[in-house]
Amino acid sequence: MSPAPVTAPLPSMAAEWRDFFALTKPRVMTLVIFTGLCGLLAAPGHINPVLGFTAILCIAVGAGGAAALNQWWEADLDAGMKRTQHRPVPAGRVQRSSARDFGFGLSGASVMIMGLANGLLPAVILAFSIFYYAWIYTVWLKPRTPQNIVIGGGAGAFPPMIGWIAVTHDVTLMPILLFLIIFVWTPPHFWALALFVQIDYAKVGIPMMPVVAGERSTRHQILGYAVLLLPLTVVPWWLGYTGKVYGLSAVALGLVFVWLSARVGLRRPLAEGDTMKPEKRLFAYSILYLFVLFAMLVVDHAATGLGF
Amino acid sequence: MSQPLTPAELAAFRARQKSRSRALGVVLVALAMLFFAITIVKIKGASDARHHESPAAGLSQQAR
Repeated sequence: MSPAPVTAPLPSMAAEWRDFFALTKPRVMTLVIFTGLCGLLAAPGHINPVLGFTAILCIAVGAGGAAALNQWWEADLDAGMKRTQHRPVPAGRVQRSSARDFGFGLSGASVMIMGLANGLLPAVILAFSIFYYAWIYTVWLKPRTPQNIVIGGGAGAFPPMIGWIAVTHDVTLMPILLFLIIFVWTPPHFWALALFVQIDYAKVGIPMMPVVAGERSTRHQILGYAVLLLPLTVVPWWLGYTGKVYGLSAVALGLVFVWLSARVGLRRPLAEGDTMKPEKRLFAYSILYLFVLFAMLVVDHAATGLGF
Repeated sequence: MSQPLTPAELAAFRARQKSRSRALGVVLVALAMLFFAITIVKIKGASDARHHESPAAGLSQQAR
């Protein structure tokens, strides 16, 4: 399989470093770095700060490499959507082959350095997470099934797991729970966005849930995943992996998430010119939710360490 | 055939090239520092582990 032919104009100028930096999707990377760091800080045990820093750097660079490979593959789709047409490749600021080489370079370097600094297990999981995003999600699932986001959500769920395993060097239930939390959080987060940009997806033929199954079904599924997420986030507390600081925060944050999802999920058919306020509010809150939930995991770990 | 660049375009082209080279230089220096730090940590870790395994070896080294 090879990428579709280039339709974007060739760059007449050398790309700036900022263009290459943009290929790594720095905004998405913020969440990746944060959840990876929280996984690392909340894990039982000790890691040398230099090796901890290296682990987070590798998680970030690996995610950046996967993002560059995603933009190399999807340059033509990106060119057809308002939200993505200004990205470096469709805008013609970076050549498509440069994006590909940059992506492979970052991915390879991050896995190699992770292996040297933190051992084989986190390096193998990092390599698999890059493969998962760049191939399983981007190439295979995204153009084929409306469940793309559900399964593809796994790609963004690896960072806290890798952070945790960089400390413990062991795959236990807790890093798998952290993985599952982000996995179940992704569909309501992304479908809230897809509801207000669905025209774009339809235009380029990506089978996003609102395009294929319709708005009503998508809204119900958003609510379903939000309801599933609430007990899932409480499981670490229930199993004794965390204390009540995390547990009570997870309950409070989850209830708000379910409330905002219910306002989206149970909405009646929209009037023409609707500004999609509940959907935009849910999308914004879902980002805040994940930041605060993972921050609470670290606060809880610190509080337990101090004897609270 | 492509048109030759005007002096203004050439200057902009060189400026972009320069900024990219500078960024690459910073990344390479940072990588060298990171590898140095990782090496020191690994050597220290290995030496600490050896001392834990045979405390006598550590004591005899201290005596020297």
